[in-house]
Amino acid sequence: MIDLGFTLNSKRVFVVARRVVRQLKRDRRTIGLITLLPIFLMILFGYALSGEMSGINLGIVDFGGQDDLRDHLASVDDFALLRLGSESDAEKLIVEGRLHGAVVIGEDEVKILLDATSPQITSSIMAEVKNGLQKSVVGVGGLGEYSPVEAESPEIVQRYIYGYDMEMMDSVGPAVLGLVVFFFTFIIAAISFLRERTQGSLEKFMVSPLSRPEMVTGYLLGFSIFTVIQSATTFLVVVFVFGVPMNGNPLTAFGVILLLGAGALVLGAFFSNFARTEFQVVQFIPMVILPQVVLSGVWWPLESIPAFIRPISYILPLTYSSDALRAVMLKGAGVTDILVPDLLVLVGLFVIAFAAATLMLKREVG
Amino acid sequence: MNDGENSGSVSFEDYSIIAQGLQKSFGELRVWSDLSVKIPRGTTYCLLGPNGSGKTTFIRAVAGLLRPDGGNLQVLGEPISNVSRVYPRIGYMTQHKALYPDLTLRENMEFYAGLYGIEGEQMAERISELLDMVDLAEHADRITGALSGGMYQRLSLACTLIHEPDLLLLDEPTVGVDPVLREAFWRFFDGLTEKGKTILITTHLMDEAEKCKIVGYMRAGRMLAEGSPEDLKRLAGLRTILKLSVEEPEASASRLASRGFDVRAAWGELHVAIEEHRQIKEVLDLVEPFDLRLIEPTLGDAFIKLAEGESG
Repeated sequence: MIDLGFTLNSKRVFVVARRVVRQLKRDRRTIGLITLLPIFLMILFGYALSGEMSGINLGIVDFGGQDDLRDHLASVDDFALLRLGSESDAEKLIVEGRLHGAVVIGEDEVKILLDATSPQITSSIMAEVKNGLQKSVVGVGGLGEYSPVEAESPEIVQRYIYGYDMEMMDSVGPAVLGLVVFFFTFIIAAISFLRERTQGSLEKFMVSPLSRPEMVTGYLLGFSIFTVIQSATTFLVVVFVFGVPMNGNPLTAFGVILLLGAGALVLGAFFSNFARTEFQVVQFIPMVILPQVVLSGVWWPLESIPAFIRPISYILPLTYSSDALRAVMLKGAGVTDILVPDLLVLVGLFVIAFAAATLMLKREVG
Repeated sequence: MNDGENSGSVSFEDYSIIAQGLQKSFGELRVWSDLSVKIPRGTTYCLLGPNGSGKTTFIRAVAGLLRPDGGNLQVLGEPISNVSRVYPRIGYMTQHKALYPDLTLRENMEFYAGLYGIEGEQMAERISELLDMVDLAEHADRITGALSGGMYQRLSLACTLIHEPDLLLLDEPTVGVDPVLREAFWRFFDGLTEKGKTILITTHLMDEAEKCKIVGYMRAGRMLAEGSPEDLKRLAGLRTILKLSVEEPEASASRLASRGFDVRAAWGELHVAIEEHRQIKEVLDLVEPFDLRLIEPTLGDAFIKLAEGESG
């Protein structure tokens, strides 16, 4: 027995874990869902995203004054524009290799940040910025009346930054890994706990020596086996099929994924209390999963999300797992490097959700 | 179990459940107004009553799943606020089956055994014994989801009994169980009470209630009548009726009436009310029927009578 203010009998925890494993083992479709579907999804994402790499990712920080230039850059087919809030955000993303360059537009000055590692791309960015500025100088009605008025056009400042030569899949892969684990664990956990309630076993547990934390911990233990299998297969695809680097310790990356999966499980257990049928569980997908897909920096960087929505990003577990996984896989970060804030926040979110889930499974007396 | 803590308290020894003046409302709806029940150790106590009379609510309160608004409730010697201490000694079977359809029968039982710390050889023995009792031994390694409704119910009961509880709370345990097996269940229940176990059962079947030692008839959140099935029939003023077919009804009737029997003639038959079965011989000494039937009053008749008395 461990004294944590509640009883946690390891034998009973194992009894629950063994049952969860036995159940899932029989459920072939769910096993297929959690092991094969992620592989399929990763392959799909991988090819879809490698196609997008032919374009040029350009950041724009617009302080106003050069609308023609902005519109021109937006009209260039090869450019994928990302609106950012500040120059430092743009710089960071270039360093991380997620942007090829950025244009900071001001009233009197246009600053161009360029990735020095890809000269071809830098020259095409430069060319388009110049084209855009010429348009603004020529004006609307002045077609053919070319009169260079250098004094009126803003000053162009170039800055070279040494970036990281990376494909989109390198950046998205590690984050999607977390997304896949979170999604499946959340849904399966929510449905499992809902079934405990509707089939009456939860009520039976309440009139038995099994405590709520023991039950939830047993689930965590049982599910962790499947989470490991799931993340292992997804890892293999990401690393070996798409060549996403694994510069850090794979065990550290596994640790992050398990922590995220644990959070997804207790969150699913908590949310199961608000559903009466499995159909209603499915309705949680747009509520819990979609915001994380959009706001946690899986596909596009957090820095490009408008500042007023960003507080939401900072309470989403996937924000931290994506950051930690990228750090471990791409930069070779160790546990101490990702401890603050990523691991601490993930642990904190897990503890809060665990407490909430066990409190919701409460009986009225004793 | 407890040394000292309950010494001097007679109730712990003699009663498994003591409820005094319980009250419970769900919003505007009053479930119990003033419910008092004492359930002696080693009995089968049946809660009977129409839907919404508060039977299941009472079982849930005894299990600690629901807090009474007022009154006193003690379960196995513990006040209800400490009921979790006696959970290892309670077996609770809800109307939901509480089984995992994708596990085998044996795996379901192993799971519940594990929760109560039963393992190894003891577990294997207990499981085979109980599977025999519910007549499911040959299906032990089948997937539970493939069972019929009645089999589900039997497995659910077996799982509830896995830890040999001192107090069994059974909410409608024999729904979907065929009559032959139901008899077997009741024999098993009797065996348990002989060993000092207490069974609190709810049912809507009168013939099942007849098999219990004590029947409590609940109505509108109160205990309307309580006692052994025989006591309740007597309380309702019901008597056994001897129906006789005789050659000369009028002469026979007056002969019986002159000896103090309550006789009525109907459809060429005589209906004679008797207090005890040994009066049958007395009746047969006075008349010579060519056909004879004994109509015993049912518990259902008794409750109809009692309910009429209550509202009238």
